[in-house]
Amino acid sequence: MRKESRYMRDVLKKQETMLGVSVTARKSFVEAMGGQRVLELVLIAVVFLVLVPFLGAHRVTDFAIFCIFALSFDLLYGYMGRLSFGHLLYLGVGAYTVGLSLRYVTTNPLLAIVLGVVAASLAGMAVGAVTVRVSGAAFALSNLAFNRVGWFLVMSPLKEITGGENGLSIRNLSFWLVNFRNPNFRFWFVLVALLGVFLFLRVLTASPYGVLLRSIKEDERRVRFLGYNTYFYKWITFVVAASIAGFAGALTALNYGYVNPNTLDVHANAGVVFACLIGGSGRLYGALLGGILYMLITNLLPIYFQRWEFVLGVALLLIVFRFRGGIWGGLEALRKSIVLRYNASSSKKGVSQ
Amino acid sequence: MELLVTEGLTKRFGGLVAVNEVNLRIKENEALGIIGPNGSGKTTLFNLLSGFFAPTKGRVVFRGKDVTRLSPEERVKMGMVRTFQLVSVFNSLKVWESLVPCIVWNSDIYHSLWKFMTTAVEEVRDNSIEALKLVGLKDYADSMTAELSYGDKRLLEIAFALAFQPKLLLLDEPFSGLSDVEIGKVLALLRSLKGKTTIGIIEHKISMIVDFVDRLCVMNEGRIICEGKPQEVLADPLVNECYWGKEEVVEEAPSSSAL
Ligand SMILES: Nc1ncnc2c1ncn2[C@@H]1O[C@H](COP(=O)(O)OP(=O)(O)O)[C@@H](O)[C@H]1O
Ligand SMILES: [Mg+2]
Repeated sequence: MRKESRYMRDVLKKQETMLGVSVTARKSFVEAMGGQRVLELVLIAVVFLVLVPFLGAHRVTDFAIFCIFALSFDLLYGYMGRLSFGHLLYLGVGAYTVGLSLRYVTTNPLLAIVLGVVAASLAGMAVGAVTVRVSGAAFALSNLAFNRVGWFLVMSPLKEITGGENGLSIRNLSFWLVNFRNPNFRFWFVLVALLGVFLFLRVLTASPYGVLLRSIKEDERRVRFLGYNTYFYKWITFVVAASIAGFAGALTALNYGYVNPNTLDVHANAGVVFACLIGGSGRLYGALLGGILYMLITNLLPIYFQRWEFVLGVALLLIVFRFRGGIWGGLEALRKSIVLRYNASSSKKGVSQ
Repeated sequence: MELLVTEGLTKRFGGLVAVNEVNLRIKENEALGIIGPNGSGKTTLFNLLSGFFAPTKGRVVFRGKDVTRLSPEERVKMGMVRTFQLVSVFNSLKVWESLVPCIVWNSDIYHSLWKFMTTAVEEVRDNSIEALKLVGLKDYADSMTAELSYGDKRLLEIAFALAFQPKLLLLDEPFSGLSDVEIGKVLALLRSLKGKTTIGIIEHKISMIVDFVDRLCVMNEGRIICEGKPQEVLADPLVNECYWGKEEVVEEAPSSSAL
């Protein structure tokens, strides 16, 4: 009985699709979206898994962490249109908070991660309250200035506890089942973290909030004349981006078992800007792709090329002058033109018939 | 009852007095036209009313409250919404998306944030399409705003404003750069609003709005030189002197006015 009725339903469904009508169009669309999200996550996971045999789990973990950082940067730059040269500050705050709290506060790395994210978001709240008031070069440079302040604090007045140039080695990397000494554990942990961050940002940017961010990106003044205190929304977004960056920093510290002062190095900010540009800013996939490519270029090219930075430079020039949407944007445009051509040719056929 | 009153409103740009001692009154639910030659200070007056600039001198009182020092967004909260002389919409968004900020908006900032986080996109889209129906742009909901004609962009910008159900709607030259057909569309829309909300409308060509407005103010060199019923104003010799000859001058092309 039951089998039959299911069979009947399938037949009906087939007829529906053959007729080109779908009775529950709306619902099935929503369902499809849910299904699509899962599929996206699986695909991303597969990409990282495929890389493991070639590069090793530790390095791929590093790539995934950088992708988390690039995603957080893309929220700020790609979606809200605010280019910061000081985003590494939050990576550093996350990393140092993990290192210090595992020394002085707790033996549980998970709690340390939470503390790292909280510290980065507090830093983001304080710095953002000042910097989101301006935009353009002033925004980029005021963030750079705060990043430098952070670097200075770690290197000089707080040297006793941060270890200054020597960095900080982390104790207590394992706790119950959580064992950050095991590279496979680290890999899976970070991969799940990346998927979580991606899903969160995917939902956020697809929501009405994402639309508001893009309207602020295009014309903030106009949004103010629609009754928005844009500072508030920019600040919230800045804090969210800082928190995710802090999360990436916390993971960096645990992945290496050591906090490197380079996590705070202002010069490294160029790297994440580059990653977003090459992949395509304002597209989460662009940030992922750019993150992976940037890590591949900086990790592998130096082995083969002495002047590997030359490749970076050429790629950047190509993007700025030729592919404004980055690689992902280029792929999107390609798909669009193929679909258009396909539609045009099929409608032509329709006419001739 | 007066919805908006200005007292001695003045704006200087260096040596130039763009708006000079203007005492404007807009009554509730009337349609007030503001006309005057190019450069007479009409747009600057709207900029002062809407909070784009702070005045050099004078006060703006809206719904009985002094709003002179309030930010643009505070004034929107009180029900004053404007459009811009050069159409100002979001070209990088789809047409339905560009209405999202107007639809999800709430005057309480935290409530607004909450709505942004919790409202389903599909629901916002439905509301947005309802709002687009009102201005006849429903069929373009999924197009990019950048692809709309200038006239349709103007209708879209008016849809932004209407989504707030404003107490006072300030329109800065809503017909400039439009074709006759498009002007007809905008005018029909405005007529449907007349009497339901208060409208302040700037126009450069008198003939365009003379049948539409209840009252006309004529500006020249930053001052209101005459105001009253449209027919009375047109008969005024002072207005004729400073204005009439210039009235039907060559209309600006949309491209040049867009710059
Ligand atoms: N932001 C500004 N800075 C300097 N001068 C301005 C500014 N805005 C307008 N003006 C000047 O103020 C005068 C009035 O301009 P405007 O209000 O745009 O006139 P209208 O809208 O009546 O054509 C013009 O002489 C113009 O050059
Ligand atoms: Mg003007």
